[in-house]
Amino acid sequence: MMSPLKTTVRETAAGPVLEVTGELDYTSAPELRELTATITLRPGLRLVLDLGGMEFCDSSGITALLAARSHAHAAGADIALAAVPAHTLRVLRMVGLDEVFTIHPDRESVIGS
Amino acid sequence: MMCRSAEQPDPQDTGGDATDVLFAALLEDSADELYESAPCGYLSALMDGTIAKINSTLLGWLSLDREAVVGRMRFTDLLTVGGKLYHETHFAPLLRMQGEISGIALDIKQSAGGRMPVLVSAAVKYGSTGQPLLTRTTVFDARDRRAYEEELLRRRDAAEEARKQAEADRARLQEALAVLQQSLLPDTLPPIPGVETAAHYHTASPDRLGGDFYDVFPLDGKRFAFFLGDVCGKGPQAAAVTSLTRYTLRAAALHDPDPVSALSTLNTVLHERYADSGDPRYCTAVFGTLGPDPTTGHVAVQLASGGHPPVLVLRADGTADFLPTPGGLLVGVVPGARFTTATTVLTPGDTLLLYTDGLTEARTGDDQSDRYGDEALRGFAVRHAGRPPDAVVQALTGLLHGFGDGLDDDTALLAIGVPATGPAPCDPATPD
Amino acid sequence: MDVVRRNNVTVVGNPEGPAVVLAHGFGCDQNMWRLTVPALVEDYRVVLFDYVGSGRAEPSAFSEKRYSSLSGYARDVVEVCEALDLRDAAFVGHSVSAMIGVVALGMAPERIGALVMVAPSPRYVDDDGYRGGFSADDIDELLASLESNYLGWSAAMAPMIMGNPDRPELDQELKNSFCATDPDMARVFARTTFLSDSRDDLKSVAVPTLVLECTQDVIAPREVGAFVHRTVPGSTLVTLDATGHCPHLSAPEATNAAITDFLAGLR
Repeated sequence: MMSPLKTTVRETAAGPVLEVTGELDYTSAPELRELTATITLRPGLRLVLDLGGMEFCDSSGITALLAARSHAHAAGADIALAAVPAHTLRVLRMVGLDEVFTIHPDRESVIGS
Repeated sequence: MMCRSAEQPDPQDTGGDATDVLFAALLEDSADELYESAPCGYLSALMDGTIAKINSTLLGWLSLDREAVVGRMRFTDLLTVGGKLYHETHFAPLLRMQGEISGIALDIKQSAGGRMPVLVSAAVKYGSTGQPLLTRTTVFDARDRRAYEEELLRRRDAAEEARKQAEADRARLQEALAVLQQSLLPDTLPPIPGVETAAHYHTASPDRLGGDFYDVFPLDGKRFAFFLGDVCGKGPQAAAVTSLTRYTLRAAALHDPDPVSALSTLNTVLHERYADSGDPRYCTAVFGTLGPDPTTGHVAVQLASGGHPPVLVLRADGTADFLPTPGGLLVGVVPGARFTTATTVLTPGDTLLLYTDGLTEARTGDDQSDRYGDEALRGFAVRHAGRPPDAVVQALTGLLHGFGDGLDDDTALLAIGVPATGPAPCDPATPD
Repeated sequence: MDVVRRNNVTVVGNPEGPAVVLAHGFGCDQNMWRLTVPALVEDYRVVLFDYVGSGRAEPSAFSEKRYSSLSGYARDVVEVCEALDLRDAAFVGHSVSAMIGVVALGMAPERIGALVMVAPSPRYVDDDGYRGGFSADDIDELLASLESNYLGWSAAMAPMIMGNPDRPELDQELKNSFCATDPDMARVFARTTFLSDSRDDLKSVAVPTLVLECTQDVIAPREVGAFVHRTVPGSTLVTLDATGHCPHLSAPEATNAAITDFLAGLR
């Protein structure tokens, strides 16, 4: 069945890591958008969205990811997606966002263990 | 029932005496005294309404002297005008027919111009031969009760008014939404020589404006354009993007029908409008042109995709395949986005199918944990390959119905085909 | 819908006799004629009915639009006449029904051959040079009276309207039930009745007409009776020594005698 969205933020030296688990869809996407808008960023930092636990992402979810990207760029910061599940990776490829986002296949290579 | 509450002395000492005294006092309470001072009004009237007898309690409520009333006034003279009308149209006829009537709410006039709400009951006294002799009427003070009832009625009216208002508001909103929704989609698809088209739109919720869109329109007398897409998100904001998208693509295509050019124009418009708004908006879209060749009956299709699921081509020979458009970018995200093109030719019996991901993302399985998916869709298309567009769309509509609650997103379908020249292929043995 | 069922039509009396339609006024239903019917059944085919919105007429047939004018009620009359195929019937209307009869006569002249107007009033509200007996405020007060008797109505009437075959004892408990009416429909009838003005219609009545008035009638004072008599061409006026607005209940013998004399004169 549908699993609710859960998010946690932790700070690292390279920048904040936002861990997303559950389903990111029309009902839950606004939650993520509100959360990312409150994350403080500055030039040189990188916001990492850890999607390893994300079970579903529809077009509203994609919009939330793009909103996070706009938020990072507005602050002069960078953004990357880590541990993108195969299903979401396929969606990102379909909409061409694999070339817009920096995507890391696993979380270790981008944020360490 | 006897009232013992006035018994003051200790009953152990003087109980017997005190009870006797009290009882004697009650016996002295004459019937006349009871009539005159009863806690309700009494009135007796002749059959023509003339008052023959009235008690002090009622006279006190009316602030009238007995001499002014008895033999001079009728019962209806004591009532307000509205009460008179009610008396004549309801009270009196009922009393005549039933011989009694009870609990009727009326107002009596008071001398100072005021009125007093009362509850009236009456009974006819008959003579030995059954002829009516007089009417006996009791009048109860209903001031508190009427105030309470009026409050109840007032609240009922207020609740009814609020309910009507809410219903009207809801109806108006539904109508506005329906009109808006209709403005996002064509009423009918234009006829195209040598081409058949069919479309279907499934709205996930009637209260929620959809973000899917499609259209078919003529370009230059020979060629036609079509598009189908999905605005990210739902609701009025998404509908505004849908509207902007639809009219931008139509206008862009008339200027330059090249599919990449049309999508690029849309990309620029959306990006400029929404990128810096704090509320970025995007869409996926397939835009294409149809070039029917009247001599061969073939139709050349040129299309471009911006982040949209690949279209399906159902062939007359019973096969069906995706027409891949990988790498095309979601429209409106970055300036100068790249879009992927594809071409094909439709020959008689072929159908091009465009859809939004509401179809492929529908939840399936016993616990609705699976998604319908691309391969299942392709398999479905194979089973309907060779059939005309309206049959394909009808079959897909049935499929969408079958998803039930699993279909939680809007879904648009657009099928464009070339009629088969030979005999129509047989229906599949087991249609889905 | 079947008009006979819709208007709770009852036909009694001599099937070979001339038809007499008895039409109740505002405030009650065909029960009002219980003392009149016995005087007619021997010689006449007597037709009784309830207007939609009154008595036991079919409540679902009520439409505020239709019954917001006397012509809506007059259509009930014409449709009842058509359903029974009545021709040249004598129409006996009490109170506002007298005026409804005049309107129905205009709609279907072939159906009605004579009018008996019992305590009629073509206009209840005073006007320039005309005294109907009431002001517009008085009428509002009547509407308020209907409203204050709402609670008593709903308790008494609900089981009857809804039909409650499982609890027949409810029928016996009903008091004040002869004339029980849905208060919302009664309010429409009251407004239509008391705000109507049919004075002009009286002039065109071209059938034999009997006007019955009471000596003491709060609702239709004698000036009004005189006005109706004066305005309906060739009408007969009979003043009954009766108090109130319902002489057929308060003075049945005199009322019946006046009606049967008039009807006998038509034959």
